[in-house]
Amino acid sequence: MKRWFAGFAVTLAACTAVLLLPPSAAAQTPAAAYTPPRTREGQPDLQGLWQVLNTAAWDLQDHGATLGVPAGHGVVEGNDIPYKPEALAKKQENFKNRQQLDPENRCILPGVPRITYMPYPFRIVQQADKVVILHEYSRIIRYVYMNGNPHPEGPIDWFMGDSRGRWEGNSLVVDVIHFNEETWFDRAGNYHSDALHLVERFTPTGPDHMLYEVTIEDPNVFTRPWKISMPLYRRQEKDVELLEYECGAYLLKQEWAKPDSPYFNTR
Amino acid sequence: MRRWLLAALAVVGGVVVILPVTGRAAGGDPPQAFFRPDTPKFPQARTWVAQKAKLPPYKAPRTPDGVPDLQGNWNGPVGGGNDDLEEHEYVDVTTPPQESYVSDPADGKVPYTPWALAKRNEIRAGLARGWPGETGQRLYSDPSSLCLNGMPRLAFGGQEIIQRPAQVILLTANTYRVIPTDGRPHMSPDAKFYFGNSRGRWEGETLVVDITGINGETWIDSAGNFYGPNTHMVERLTRVEPNTIDYVITIEDPTIYTRPWTMTYPKRRTGTGAGANAGAIPNAVAAAGAARAADPYAKEVWENTCLEGNHDNVVLLKKLGFKWFDAVTPPK
Repeated sequence: MKRWFAGFAVTLAACTAVLLLPPSAAAQTPAAAYTPPRTREGQPDLQGLWQVLNTAAWDLQDHGATLGVPAGHGVVEGNDIPYKPEALAKKQENFKNRQQLDPENRCILPGVPRITYMPYPFRIVQQADKVVILHEYSRIIRYVYMNGNPHPEGPIDWFMGDSRGRWEGNSLVVDVIHFNEETWFDRAGNYHSDALHLVERFTPTGPDHMLYEVTIEDPNVFTRPWKISMPLYRRQEKDVELLEYECGAYLLKQEWAKPDSPYFNTR
Repeated sequence: MRRWLLAALAVVGGVVVILPVTGRAAGGDPPQAFFRPDTPKFPQARTWVAQKAKLPPYKAPRTPDGVPDLQGNWNGPVGGGNDDLEEHEYVDVTTPPQESYVSDPADGKVPYTPWALAKRNEIRAGLARGWPGETGQRLYSDPSSLCLNGMPRLAFGGQEIIQRPAQVILLTANTYRVIPTDGRPHMSPDAKFYFGNSRGRWEGETLVVDITGINGETWIDSAGNFYGPNTHMVERLTRVEPNTIDYVITIEDPTIYTRPWTMTYPKRRTGTGAGANAGAIPNAVAAAGAARAADPYAKEVWENTCLEGNHDNVVLLKKLGFKWFDAVTPPK
């Protein structure tokens, strides 16, 4: 948190015009004013069914519309993702070939934080020693352990990383490491290496809203830590529930039906 | 589409998929066991029905919401899992001798209509897994070998049960169910799901879960016992002892079966009861148990992958000529 903020402050100082503007709501911690209810264990109660309402799944940065892609404001603070020069070239290649390369098209575990802002709801369930996040997408369960165990010793290469949580005030803060290199951040080719380190903050800002902030650090790919932030919305429909999106099943069924699907070429 | 898949394959060629380090799962499923031919027959429904008839009445503690408390980690059935839900003798190292899971009818057989029994037998004869009675032709591979999950099969494994007001949450190794208990109606039966559409209610000590909207595209076991898109399932979970949940599921579909039929087994609280590995080759099991006991992470569930590491297997099954298993509907 401090590290990204130092970087961000430098950016701010270099851009005095920004100082004249009111502080961005997302850049601060506006949640201080709201005190969420508590669980039986006395934790801030974040439980319920949540979903984003933005276009980060397509592109984290400002983007115009194309067929099937809604335009959107970016969720990156300052909009700039600080790629190293060679990493930026790879990102651009990824973008150019995104139809072929995006891991989402293979229905594998989509990684973190991408799973959070895909257009599917998720349910947060809190227990004394862990927070469980149930995603509709492929029925993925994400366990955030708060049992006193540190990250297990690596090297470990997981699609979804290893998540260890703590409470800071009303915020759930999750430290995530032990990633592999097989996942992206969005459909625009933004990517990371297995050195990815995330600090996620889930901060209630009202009964039906949370602020989701992620500080992203990966010295193999980026020159400095950077940050995304977006609101999470509590789904309001009376009968809302997690349904099912069994991505892998639908993909296999489709490819099985094709006479010469290259999906089955030995790789 | 074809072009992107080809390119995608070039990229995924370098993927190294890391399997769960310990293979542990919610509910404490044991490591995969391998069984000797002289393994004694595992008790299932017949034995459990006789045992539970002798249990004294039990009233479970209540959650703060006043309903029976089923929370905690619970094992699946003892034995080799639901390789074949009907009674059988030793088949191979992963399929030890076992009583039937079926408690009703009393003969332990799934009460198929004649066409459906012929279909089940056809599927079974085409499994090409080296079991007796196969034709040698390849027909369908068990859908779970393609990472497809469905009811009721995942209920025959370890689970963590969490209760929250008006809902029950079941966590299994790499999937989950959230069952509303607020009295809401089912969705339209036209909306189909691998897991169906579950609606729960409390009847005294028992959680009753009514499941409709099942797509019928997976099996009940790995031996081709099947259901269909019209099948209706009702589960009953009752804590009959502090550390035992009586699990009962009734399956009903007049288009496939001659009558409703029922499976049952006891879910023992993880760490209690007879080990699921009784009868397994002992050294490997003992070593795994000792490693778990010394491990501060033993109660954690670590990343479970399936599709991610299964591509070579999927390719092999396709190249061997196995067909895609579509939901079975009765002949006209």
